[in-house]
Amino acid sequence: MIYEARRVGHLYPSRTGAVASLLDVELRIEKGEQVALLGPSGSGKSTLLRLLNATLRPGSGQLRFEDRDLAALSRRELRQVRRRIGTVFQHPSLVPSLSAAQNALCGRLGSWTLPRALRALLSPTAEDGTLAQTALEKVGLAHKARARADELSGGQQQRVAIARVLVQDPEVLLTDEPFSAVDPSLQKQLAELLFDVARGRTLVAALHDVEMALAYFPRVIGLQGGRIVFDLPTAQVSSGLIERLYATRAAG
Amino acid sequence: MRRAALATAIGAGLALCWWGAGLHAGLDLHALSGFARGLFPPDLSPAFLRVVAVAMVRTLGIAVAGTVLAVGLGLPLGLLATPALWRRGPLCAGERPGPSAALSWAFAALARFLRAVPDLVWALFFVVGFGLGPLPGTLAVGINTAGVLGRVYADLFEAVPPGPVLSLHASGASRLQAFAAAIWPQAAPSVLAYTLYAFECNVRAAAVLGFVGAGGIGQEINLSMRLFEYGQVTTLLFAFVALVLATDAVSRRARGRLRRNAVHGSGVMRTPVPVETRQGRTALPARLTAVLAVVLLAVAFQQAGFLNLAVPAHLGRFAAQLFPPDLSPAFLLALIEPLWQTIAVSILGTAIGIALGALLALPATATLMRDERDPDTAAARALRTAAYLAARFVLALLRSIPELVWVLLCIVAFGLGPFAGAAALGLHTAGVLGKLYAETLEEVPEAPGEELRAIGARPLQRLVWAFWPQARETLLSYTLLRWETNLRLSTVIGLVGGGGLGLALYNDVQLGWYPQAATLVLVIYLLVVATDSLAGRLRSPPAAGAAPASALDLVTAG
Repeated sequence: MIYEARRVGHLYPSRTGAVASLLDVELRIEKGEQVALLGPSGSGKSTLLRLLNATLRPGSGQLRFEDRDLAALSRRELRQVRRRIGTVFQHPSLVPSLSAAQNALCGRLGSWTLPRALRALLSPTAEDGTLAQTALEKVGLAHKARARADELSGGQQQRVAIARVLVQDPEVLLTDEPFSAVDPSLQKQLAELLFDVARGRTLVAALHDVEMALAYFPRVIGLQGGRIVFDLPTAQVSSGLIERLYATRAAG
Repeated sequence: MRRAALATAIGAGLALCWWGAGLHAGLDLHALSGFARGLFPPDLSPAFLRVVAVAMVRTLGIAVAGTVLAVGLGLPLGLLATPALWRRGPLCAGERPGPSAALSWAFAALARFLRAVPDLVWALFFVVGFGLGPLPGTLAVGINTAGVLGRVYADLFEAVPPGPVLSLHASGASRLQAFAAAIWPQAAPSVLAYTLYAFECNVRAAAVLGFVGAGGIGQEINLSMRLFEYGQVTTLLFAFVALVLATDAVSRRARGRLRRNAVHGSGVMRTPVPVETRQGRTALPARLTAVLAVVLLAVAFQQAGFLNLAVPAHLGRFAAQLFPPDLSPAFLLALIEPLWQTIAVSILGTAIGIALGALLALPATATLMRDERDPDTAAARALRTAAYLAARFVLALLRSIPELVWVLLCIVAFGLGPFAGAAALGLHTAGVLGKLYAETLEEVPEAPGEELRAIGARPLQRLVWAFWPQARETLLSYTLLRWETNLRLSTVIGLVGGGGLGLALYNDVQLGWYPQAATLVLVIYLLVVATDSLAGRLRSPPAAGAAPASALDLVTAG
């Protein structure tokens, strides 16, 4: 088992008092599983992913990664966990003034010492070059390797973010609606790329696209108002369940 | 390798500056330890404290009166130097420049001249013309700052989007009407904010002018140093730092009220926004405020020596003696060495400032040191906080002691000569640049760094891979701007024994060799203008909506 959440909750401070973005989440994810997260916006998908990639600590309950309580880890242990988890966000925040190749190379930072990181920035070795180039080739951006990240289109930036994951080579891949900001004609292509990258890794994907979730994932989790409302094998997810998942907000 | 070549070139250039200008670092530890011992205990006798209080009031008076003078001169100068207002025909870009455009260029050149000749040099001349006392100091601050503000105002007016001006002009408004209705309301908050900046700088400047006999706290520091009364120096320095910090705090609050988010942490106005008017119970009645302001101004002008104003009879004769400047080849050749020394001191001082400033900026960066997003032991957290506070304190100390005071202190440590000048410049620059570096790093967008944190990058790795690439250009342009400032400063540190052009100028003025002094002023002017255009070329142009370089210059000045 790679993840285990026991009664995990998280509160966001707000003007009218704290607002719960996650409540009593119980969750187990096995190594190598491919899980889709569905739910209306504001249902807590992003918060759950930030808990899973260990950048947010649960406000209550316990979240275990490979049977270790994430809240009890030291800074160092936390970094070691984080470097095994890759995240692709809805809007990738690449370092704007670095090249696509350098941004891809960033994936290695977690496993480098400081001098090594400095060297890779100032005078990268041939090996660094190949590493970045291979990754960019896989995402079809080899020709843009030297372009500054802020000169790339949104879809291209998203592909650089995926190349960074390839360089990082994590065991767990988390994605937060990575296609919703991309031109619809490119979504399918990008999705195939992502599934290709996710092969052999644990994948937890927050998705907008219900059909994609049902077509590609063996397990679907429905989130609503910070609670898990269903957690089922895809075959058992009925259209009624999906309708109810998205309908409540309109109802009240 | 381009990078290696660049590094070699920089190293060789610095070495050249070092040897070529005759800079020897001989640290006189004996003198220094004697000096350090002498600094304690501070002289707190009532008689001396009275002297300190008088000097502080006078310094503040010079700064206030000088700033008022500077605004009075700088505002018309800025108006006349704004190209957008003086293009022929409809006020639009790309229009063929007419005779009034030439006029506006001439006023811009005048502003540049007033600004390029450092206030201390102005003071040196005014002291000869008007005699010792605060008046020449005030005039010097006023005239130099008028040049600075004239340029800043012109740039701010020019940066206002031209649309409203054009439409007003199309409907028949005169230039002044168009200015009052369309440009002023948009530029006013920035104008006020940068005027306050100029005031902060002037407090420091006023303190320093005492070194050439213009009264105030600088004169007392100079006197106490020469009398070896180091306990008095300590008291004066503390008083002065307190004065600077207090004015900075008041001015920062006032600027903050102009609009909290309009002023960048480092003082860059993002967009002009309407001035927030103050309301509520703390506001004094308008009439009382006005009376208070008039009284304060009267005190300031009285302290600045304006009320016993009597133009000395020999002023005209002195001014006439400056012409024609001595341009004989023999004299010009003799200038090469001090000129070279001045440039070398500015470069070396900047290099020291960059190194020391960068070293102090890292622990002074809140986003690195006060980051609570990851778990940490209480001890490590306390250590980080302590380092942060210590670095901030050292930066504030380095920054608030003026360059010329640093020169005096460095002369004790290193002996008379250009090295003391370079070291002094370096220490003050470290304070200024360190603060600007830290603020720049803090203002870098954090999302890219957060993504790197999420995949296990350490704080310093995030600094190198995410903060530095994003801050690089801003850091470079601050550094270049500071170098320009340092070049102006290195022409004047000679006045107190730091070598270079300033020393030559001081000697010429003391000996009454006015044509030679006039030539030196000309050389200083040309040198400053040449550096400005060189550094301007190296800098990337400011982004749309960012502050003009002339305004940033004010920020890097103190």
